Amino acid sequence: MPTRVAIDVGGTFTDLCALNEDTGEFVFVKDLTTPSNFAIGVLGVLKKSGIKGEEIDRFIGTGSTMVINSLTERKGAKVLLVTTKGFRDVLEIQRSNRTDLYNFRYQKPIPFVPRRYRIEVEERIDYSGNILKPLNKEDVLKAIEFCKRERFESVAIAFFNSYANPAHEIECYNLFKKALPNMPITLSHELTREWREYERTNTAVMNAFVQPKVQQYIETLEKGLRDFGVKTPLHIMQSNGGVSTFEQALRAPIYQVESGPIGGVIGSATIGKALGLKNIITLDVGGTTAKTSLIFDGKLRINTDYSIGKTQFFPGYPVKVPVVDIVEIGNGGGSIAWIDEVGSLRVGPVSAGADPGPACYNRGGDKPTLTDAFVITGVLNPDYFLGGEIKLNKELAYRAYSSLSEIMGKSVEEVALGAIRLATANMINAVKLISVRRGFDPRDFTLIAFGGAGPMFATAIAKDLLIKKVIVPRVPGVFSAWGMLMTDVKHDYVQTKVMRLNLDSLKELYNIINEMKEMAMKQLESEYINKNDMYFEAYFDIRYLGQEHTVSTEVPIKNPDRKVLKIIENRFHRLHYKQYTFKLNDPLEVVNVRLSAYGKVRKPQISTFKPKEKSFGVNYRKVILEDGMYNAKVLRRDEIQYDETILGPAIIEEPTATTVVRNNELAYIDKFGNLIIEVK
Amino acid sequence: MNSELKSDPFTITIIKNALKSISEEMFSTTARSAQSPIIYDVLDFSTCITDSQGNVISQATGIPLFIGVFDYTVKGIIDHYKNENIEPGDIIITNDPYISGTHLNDVALIAPIFYKDTIVAYAASKGHWLDIGGMSFGSWGPGRSEIFQEGLFIPPCKLYKANKLNLDVVKILKSNSRLPNILIGDMEAQIAGLRIANTRILRLIDKYGLASFFTSIEKILNDGKYIANRRLNEIPNGLYEAVDYLDEEDENGHKIKIHAQIKITENEFIVDFTNNPNQLPFSMNTTYPATVAAVRVVYMSIIDPHIVFNQGIVSPLKVIAPRGTIFNAIKPAPVSVYWESLTYAADLVWKAVAPVVKEKITAGHFLSVVAEIIAGINNKNNEPFALVEPNPGGWGAGIDKDGESALVSFADGETYASSVEILERRYPIMVERYCLNIEDGVGHGKYRGGFGIIKDYRILNDVTELTTDINRSIVPPWGIEGGENGTGNYIVIIRNGKEILRTRKISSFKLLRNDIVSIRTGGGGGWGNPFLRDPKMVLEDVKNGFIDIKTAKEKYLVIINPTMMEIDWKETDMLRNKFQL
Repeated sequence: MPTRVAIDVGGTFTDLCALNEDTGEFVFVKDLTTPSNFAIGVLGVLKKSGIKGEEIDRFIGTGSTMVINSLTERKGAKVLLVTTKGFRDVLEIQRSNRTDLYNFRYQKPIPFVPRRYRIEVEERIDYSGNILKPLNKEDVLKAIEFCKRERFESVAIAFFNSYANPAHEIECYNLFKKALPNMPITLSHELTREWREYERTNTAVMNAFVQPKVQQYIETLEKGLRDFGVKTPLHIMQSNGGVSTFEQALRAPIYQVESGPIGGVIGSATIGKALGLKNIITLDVGGTTAKTSLIFDGKLRINTDYSIGKTQFFPGYPVKVPVVDIVEIGNGGGSIAWIDEVGSLRVGPVSAGADPGPACYNRGGDKPTLTDAFVITGVLNPDYFLGGEIKLNKELAYRAYSSLSEIMGKSVEEVALGAIRLATANMINAVKLISVRRGFDPRDFTLIAFGGAGPMFATAIAKDLLIKKVIVPRVPGVFSAWGMLMTDVKHDYVQTKVMRLNLDSLKELYNIINEMKEMAMKQLESEYINKNDMYFEAYFDIRYLGQEHTVSTEVPIKNPDRKVLKIIENRFHRLHYKQYTFKLNDPLEVVNVRLSAYGKVRKPQISTFKPKEKSFGVNYRKVILEDGMYNAKVLRRDEIQYDETILGPAIIEEPTATTVVRNNELAYIDKFGNLIIEVK
Repeated sequence: MNSELKSDPFTITIIKNALKSISEEMFSTTARSAQSPIIYDVLDFSTCITDSQGNVISQATGIPLFIGVFDYTVKGIIDHYKNENIEPGDIIITNDPYISGTHLNDVALIAPIFYKDTIVAYAASKGHWLDIGGMSFGSWGPGRSEIFQEGLFIPPCKLYKANKLNLDVVKILKSNSRLPNILIGDMEAQIAGLRIANTRILRLIDKYGLASFFTSIEKILNDGKYIANRRLNEIPNGLYEAVDYLDEEDENGHKIKIHAQIKITENEFIVDFTNNPNQLPFSMNTTYPATVAAVRVVYMSIIDPHIVFNQGIVSPLKVIAPRGTIFNAIKPAPVSVYWESLTYAADLVWKAVAPVVKEKITAGHFLSVVAEIIAGINNKNNEPFALVEPNPGGWGAGIDKDGESALVSFADGETYASSVEILERRYPIMVERYCLNIEDGVGHGKYRGGFGIIKDYRILNDVTELTTDINRSIVPPWGIEGGENGTGNYIVIIRNGKEILRTRKISSFKLLRNDIVSIRTGGGGGWGNPFLRDPKMVLEDVKNGFIDIKTAKEKYLVIINPTMMEIDWKETDMLRNKFQL
């Protein structure tokens, strides 16, 4: 009975999703997260599931919560930064921008390594990689002495222009390793070989900062899993939309930083593939946030300019790791409605969370949340929340909204509907950010909605953006964990190489691709991936000569001849036009060469779905929607038959989510059990 | 849908949020389709929606200063066309700085938005065009004595008349620029933003009705006014004053004095620039709208830096500046380096009110944009190159915090200093060091100022020139409540290991191969008497190499044991007691 297991460690809950690969049967288990030692919670939920260690043929875990916590709470290692003479303040100078335009008391991000722990050594390499000054070993030995004396816990080495030639970083590493064999050491060029000294140095420093903590977690977890009888390779989710082995994760823990919300995006791509849909917008609404991402031409979109903790007023900390492009806003089921200084109703970003939760949970919460609003408007069935596990208290929901109702001089129902409409408008704006603002027309996309609250908002958002079709996958409440099960192994490589694009340079650029490919194959082999299961995507970041912005353009992996050159040029012009709305006749310049290497994992067949017989049947209840009050049909999701077509307004209930089908919309299920809604 | 639902307070909020996101979408559309980095990278542009009277409803901007200029621009246009028709499909173009503020490089495009046959709003966009003609590449710079040397002057005229492009105007624009194709590309990018606004606003009105649209606009302005008045009530009423001196000298060799008086009442914030020097025959002038913009930036920081800007918020603000003076220059005064003079207008207001809004503000900062141009012909490929960049410097201390180090001037915002790795590849320059300017120090205080930077460029080229126009070089940033003044900005040229020049203002200075251009920006002013600084913070500064042990003793009366790197509390207490004020 081979079983595939994914465990997602969230801020509050640790979720397990397991798939029996013989029967296609799924198991879901939830337990509390154990922040003092996350591994305990993971092993706990595994034991609770009843799955045996030896049955597990693939294990996928997450570490992003821990990485994020370590960085936001600034609890991590004491880091020594070794850098080039003349540049130790780069970490403090940063890019010097004032994100908070009108705030004269603005504070820049505080570096993770204070000035006195930033040691300069003499060495210099120029932008082409030529060594101008050799590495001064005396200086390095002094740094090692300092490292011992001050009892550093982690070392980052980041030299100027090391993206062009890493020789000095490697030489310095060898000296450190010899003197301090057990010291975790991060080399900036190993994480990224892109230019920009501040961004690369900061990436190295943040990696060094979280490394010892992540190491402890991964080692405890690995030991626990082995003791539990798991014999197969262990994988961990990364921000780039793939998984890596535990071993690789130890070296570059910063790669996990934004891996939390990615399962759902991968799940959506998997469903899209099964249904022949290439363009998808995802909508994931949970308890505190709504997240949206975009899949174009079957591919996840990667953001290579990611900063941790970036807000409208704070630039955050740049980390040069590829991250799946996701827009997130502070509106979810637990988001609290409130009245601002000028008397307008607002929703979020403060959330009642899971504890005490919305007022209707009857766990001591008294703040009006979106979940309460859905109870008041009749969308949520108080007797069927989590399949009836939690009884929702409608009276408490009303009470929570009563003071807002008094202040605004509107009925409780009107205010509750107002809160839902505002949250919907906020989510529409988020979807516009991920689509319209990046040059995509939402009309060319299908919306896949999940998370406990996503399916309640989905068609209202689709309608506004003229999206014609909405899909609600099976078990939308734990869809992210399901998506994790489908994730391939992935490693990314990048090398800044600035060259005009022509037939001569193409050879050199393709040599880089081939070198990267060899490196990647070795890496994948060490992770027990068969040659047949490896596949690669290569990209050039290209721009018009003299311009600053680049467009990541996929290049064919074959012999670089005139034909290939033509293909690349045409693709670039087309993509550039799509993204920036103009074309030029100027020569092209390549800035970066990128390679994504994948190890395909066997995809379990998405099993076909067998509807249950009707026992609940069709009921009716009063529901207030954006365009009026209705006596809406109420159905149970698993009882919808293949030949059944539901004309909205209708409410479709299942344990982890509730789907709203609005007036005149048509809903039906496909053979996999996905709920499809046609939006008018 | 019933009409009652349409005009409820939630709909009004939804429209309000939508108007904000429309100006942002205009902004990102323009950034996405612009062709010059000054727009898509430096974000030296802004987009905005005004009501039918020219009052700003919502605005998106990359540079703070643009918050002052759109109401003047649109109202100026309305006034200009009062006897002529503005028709649907018109787009009006102007760069007249005396109407629209800033300099000739900043070109404004304005589109009326018609619903049926009435103007319901205006969409406006203002962006820095790379080259608009004038006496040198890039149009702006020191050494001009009249505006006619600063580029093509475009009075308000119709670029589009009823959806039809006026090709004559385009011909004039193209033949006056050194970069005609980029000029047209950027113009089209701005137009794309205006078209988005038109589409989105009409859709909003179709969906929610004209009455709800107008109610939302009214609420935006009223809310702005309400918040401004509430915040203003928290500031003590009174008359506040500040005096400062420019680095420039008058014909008698005296530093030029500047002055501002601020009167704060329950519902007014009046800034009076009467008694300032007459406009100067070089670029040390600003037009009235630009002066107002500078004052508004300071006003926003005092009122509430995080509220969304609109006309209502500045309704209590009045700015008085007599015509023909440096803060209200009239034609033909040169204004192309306007940002260096308007920073002084802002700084005067800042300094005057600082004692009464202590928790909102910091001591004086390095103020100047410290822009330099290093240009020449690259020996490697015989192609011309020009490095033009602003530099970061030290900001002043706050009442409870040290100043920020290496941050762009208040006149810049989301402006990124170049990565020096990129710079080395692009220009025949090697960066020898890029570090905090510890040597010149900062304004010491209970809380000290932040540090400026030192950036050493070694020139690896034969034919290279340096041009710069830097202020706050001689008269340093101000300290407050006993905090010391900061330090100045300047550039040093080092040839064969020897300093051959120390300057703040120079045009086309010939550099030789291997010369070092060392850019040094100043430290910010301090807050409070340095004797009151927590000795532990002094020790931290010593450990981090920000100050040395000698400075710890002399400036802060803190004795540090150099071998143990610990505070000698006994000695320190004795010393501090002796000097107790």
